[in-house]
Amino acid sequence: MNRVAIVSALIAFLVGLSVATFSELRVFLPAILKGAVVTVQVSILSIALFIFLSVLAGIGRARGGRAIRWLSTIYVEVFRGTSLLVILFWMFFVMPEFGVTLSPMFAGVAAIGLNFGAYGAEVVRGAITAVPKGQTEATIALNMSPYRRMTRIVLPQAIAIMIPGMSNLTIELIKATALVSAVTLVDITYAAVQQNQLHYRTVEIFLITMMLYYVLAQFVRFGGEALEEYFTRHLNRRV
Amino acid sequence: MTHPMIQFDKVLKAYGALQVLKDLDFSVDKGEVVSIIGPSGSGKTTVLRVLMTLEGIQGGTMYVDGEPLNKMNVDGQLVDASKAHIRRIRSKIGMVFQNFNLFPHMTALENCNESPIFTQGKSKAEATEESMRLLDTVGLADKANHYPSQLSGGQQQRVAIARTLAMHPEILLFDEPTSALDPEMVGEVLEVIRNLAESGNYTMLLVTHQMGFAREVSDRVCFFDGGFMVEQGQPNDLFGNPQNERLKQFLSKVLEAG
Ligand SMILES: Nc1ncnc2c1ncn2[C@@H]1O[C@H](COP(=O)(O)OP(=O)(O)O)[C@@H](O)[C@H]1O
Ligand SMILES: [Mg+2]
Repeated sequence: MNRVAIVSALIAFLVGLSVATFSELRVFLPAILKGAVVTVQVSILSIALFIFLSVLAGIGRARGGRAIRWLSTIYVEVFRGTSLLVILFWMFFVMPEFGVTLSPMFAGVAAIGLNFGAYGAEVVRGAITAVPKGQTEATIALNMSPYRRMTRIVLPQAIAIMIPGMSNLTIELIKATALVSAVTLVDITYAAVQQNQLHYRTVEIFLITMMLYYVLAQFVRFGGEALEEYFTRHLNRRV
Repeated sequence: MTHPMIQFDKVLKAYGALQVLKDLDFSVDKGEVVSIIGPSGSGKTTVLRVLMTLEGIQGGTMYVDGEPLNKMNVDGQLVDASKAHIRRIRSKIGMVFQNFNLFPHMTALENCNESPIFTQGKSKAEATEESMRLLDTVGLADKANHYPSQLSGGQQQRVAIARTLAMHPEILLFDEPTSALDPEMVGEVLEVIRNLAESGNYTMLLVTHQMGFAREVSDRVCFFDGGFMVEQGQPNDLFGNPQNERLKQFLSKVLEAG
């Protein structure tokens, strides 16, 4: 992985540069790294929810019976058609009006997972539809059950197709976690704003903030590429 | 009472307004090898696809080994078959496709093992032993751990045949099994099919453009045209002394083309 090396070197260089240049780094860096932990927590939980909902609603739309297809479609339409920030406000500020109080973390994860799950469902649906019809016909000729057809034959091939789209959405998701700062969670973005108010090192603080998001996104990108390679390893190779 | 292995009773298949099979009556005895020939678009593939239940039909009844396939008996009445009923009857039928349709993410052996393990509940060891034996009979025991993308077309089709045999069907359907192959690979696949036909273990329905092969292995040849079975007979009669005008035209065209 040559690119990993280049990116790490670049990051090391920038960090080194920052340390050398910005002497107050150790004053604000710990707070921002604490924020990074929160961002990672929110990210991991909402990615799990996002993938779960994507697969559920994606299969529902592609292969469900009438009722399930209808439910999945409503879910997708509602959450694609509304702003993530507004949904987040609903979860955190409006739900208590109805007697349901959610923690900031819960509200953030739920809003992000629901919103991205609606986009992911379309990626999953497209991937399932893209698996050649002949594969399904072979499973019928082999008298496999619909469940085995999906889990053993269609999904494993659809995964290879959906990974690039899903990994793009995952990167978007990580960047979107910055919105949870709006419901009092002290993530990278919130911590950066706080530290900036305390220390007025605007350039340094927001340079570091950018780099942290960039590093997180790179993790996802390389992970996605590795997964894609893993799932397509037998599909196109001619020996 | 003896019954045919396959029976079509006034089967109607339409795509919208286009009637592809028109009240088709057709039956095949146990152990019989029947080839279906005819011009492109005449409904040959459709006969196999409706029997494999890849497509629904709009009228009529299909019977397999004396039992209705698309219907079932409830208190002496024929009603639309349940999914469970269709699955039970369908287990007697296997199909080999023009484009093989192997599972690309599985090795040759895993392709063969899939249905025995996950549909018939065999142990992996048991399934593997049988799959290896079947791969051996199609001459591919040494390719068991190869993925489809690592096999030639002819090899892929032979794996597909082994995979179909692994589920122990009584009826084998072949839809132009050599049409997607380079000419030099046709022979190896026909050889495997010929052995199956000669074994007498299977009732076989073969859609093909290989007239010589059809003549050689079939007990009976059926000529389809425009959704009707226009003529059928023993290969020597049908090829040597065709009656129907369309069949004569078709045969002369095919023979000209070589
Ligand atoms: N899924 C489909 N939708 C609409 N028409 C179809 C479909 N499949 C087949 N047909 C039509 O049905 C007719 C018979 O097709 P087919 O059985 O494949 O013919 P053959 O195998 O003899 O070439 C053709 O006219 C074809 O265009
Ligand atoms: Mg055809």
